[in-house]
Amino acid sequence: MSSQPNPVDTTTESPERPLLDVRGLRTYFHVMDGTVKAVDGVDFSIPRGGTVGLVGESGCGKSVTAHSIMRLIDIPPGEIVSGEVLLEGVDLLKLPDDKIRHVRGGEIAMIFQEPMTSLNPVFTIGDQISEAILLHTVPKISHKEAMERAIESLQLVGVSAPERRVKQYPHELSGGMRQRAMIAMALSCNPKLLIADEPTNALDVTIQAQILELIKALQARTGTALLLITHDLAVVAETVETIAVMYAGRIVETGTVDQVLLNPQHPYTQGLMSSIPGVKKRGEALSVIKGVVPNPFRMPPGCAFQPRCPYAWERCREAEPELLHAASGAYSRCFLHAPEGASRLPAFEHVVSGTVSSVVGSK
Amino acid sequence: MNQLPVTEPLDPGTQADFEVALVSLNQWQLAWRRFRRHKLALFGSGLFLTMVAISALGPLICPYDPTYVPPPLHFCPGSLTQIAYNGCPPLTQGHPLGTTGSLQLDLLTLVVNGGRISLLIGIGSSIFAAIIGTIVGGMAGYFGGWIDTIFMRVVDVLLSLPILIVITVFAKAFGLGDWRMIMVVFAALSWPGLARLVRSLFLTLRTEVFVDAARAVGVSDRRIIFRHILPNAVSPIIVSTTLSIAGIIVTEAFVDYLGYGVDPNKTPTWGNILTSAQTYIINGNWWWAFFPGLAIVLTVLGINFMGDGLRDALDPRSRL
Repeated sequence: MSSQPNPVDTTTESPERPLLDVRGLRTYFHVMDGTVKAVDGVDFSIPRGGTVGLVGESGCGKSVTAHSIMRLIDIPPGEIVSGEVLLEGVDLLKLPDDKIRHVRGGEIAMIFQEPMTSLNPVFTIGDQISEAILLHTVPKISHKEAMERAIESLQLVGVSAPERRVKQYPHELSGGMRQRAMIAMALSCNPKLLIADEPTNALDVTIQAQILELIKALQARTGTALLLITHDLAVVAETVETIAVMYAGRIVETGTVDQVLLNPQHPYTQGLMSSIPGVKKRGEALSVIKGVVPNPFRMPPGCAFQPRCPYAWERCREAEPELLHAASGAYSRCFLHAPEGASRLPAFEHVVSGTVSSVVGSK
Repeated sequence: MNQLPVTEPLDPGTQADFEVALVSLNQWQLAWRRFRRHKLALFGSGLFLTMVAISALGPLICPYDPTYVPPPLHFCPGSLTQIAYNGCPPLTQGHPLGTTGSLQLDLLTLVVNGGRISLLIGIGSSIFAAIIGTIVGGMAGYFGGWIDTIFMRVVDVLLSLPILIVITVFAKAFGLGDWRMIMVVFAALSWPGLARLVRSLFLTLRTEVFVDAARAVGVSDRRIIFRHILPNAVSPIIVSTTLSIAGIIVTEAFVDYLGYGVDPNKTPTWGNILTSAQTYIINGNWWWAFFPGLAIVLTVLGINFMGDGLRDALDPRSRL
């Protein structure tokens, strides 16, 4: 895929090793009122060329996870307390600053959620794309060649008249065009992993579909792995293979898209799925997850979801389980799937199967 | 102004391309378009640039050497009634602005050469201050933490010093009088204000998503500060630097007038010409003080009009 030498990969490649392996990542923010444990022990991995969706509501730590992988967290107030982010076996969290710069953009590229503000207003589109190309192309190429490559990459993402677009400023482009330009910039250096942080948030629905199609098509063509961060379950359902659901800084359920979305095994995922409006539910009141996300300074004891969980019992207030293998094949951080919850599981399964039919109907 | 929108010539093959036919103007072209419409600012810039041009070309247009002391005269040239001791009035033959009292130096030569130094100190120390202030403020705002703390405490200390007293002390200690020294002192004392401004701009700009995006493609900190953030902060820096030229010219003239600035025996400046002129005003020689004073007023007024126009033109939110 990429012909350029990898400056950080010092180990030999093994086929079974994942491209990116995040282990026990904890990112805290030390602010005036105390410490916010934005990411509190997240583990997941992305295989070479694989696609993973990180799902959760606002403030659950999905963006912080992505920023921690790229080491874009502002320190202070942020602090990556512990964990490892292994890209092909190299821990990015321990890399010196000049080495991590080669990783950013070169190995891992990122698309941000607001295309309106993620391009610098005083530079032309071409300047910004060619800057990324100039930084990561070895051996060095001239500005003119970089600009030609910028035009090619704009063509690749379906921008019309790219040789004129490169001379334009961001304010002259529509939101969809800007997001295409961001994607062109991200993919211009053939990264091994593309992190898309809510890439379709600020776009209208028709453009959303186009951008997702584009990301999917480019991902399939270039073999880049994809980490898609979103709160939109419809977006992940269409785009990725594997899903990880986050709640209050932890992954609560992970599995393939079908396992997690069709047969959710964690009460939180189940709540999310049943709160999606659908055609079949016309006339009914929408189901909601009762309560609110816990105050980050005062996390409840045991499982973070326990105060809102309709299935919670004493055990849930005592401790929080590991990710447990559920019957569906997915992993769920819930005592329902532990031996002590076995007696309560049938009641949960019953609700789940009820939910599934409505979700399948809406899908 | 009835200008048609500027359009790029269309290729013969792409007649239907109405989408991207407009010319893309960069921030400077847009600013110039707005500045051009600001008549007072154009007038001010013209005034300022005229003063700069006259001062720069001074030795070429002045008939006399600034240090040339003419032989003593009893009567003004072309007049048998005007006694020369108090200086000859404007429009005297050979002396369009008249001559000074006492030594009877040509006032035009004096004002033009004085302007060289006054403007050089004003512009030079403002640019120095802009460079130091931008680097210090930029680093403090971008990196934050202990760099910010140290730089800003230095700024606080420097801002608490009364500039006139510091210069007086400098003059006493080092026996100033050299205009280069004065320029350095002014630069050293006027960057902290700008550093604060730049810091606050950087504090806002570094949280912009495009800065994160630049970091995410592997751009180095230095490049982010100077290539990505600075161009977004440059408008207020330019406006503030322009206006500080006026401030420094006035303060410098005042310091000269007090006798702690540039040595009038070595180098004339607008300020120290005024010092020498003051004792002759009561003798009826008004022009000796009037013309350097007028030069200061016109220059400062021109700069302030220009700065006002620049502020409007460089504001990215104003779309005329």
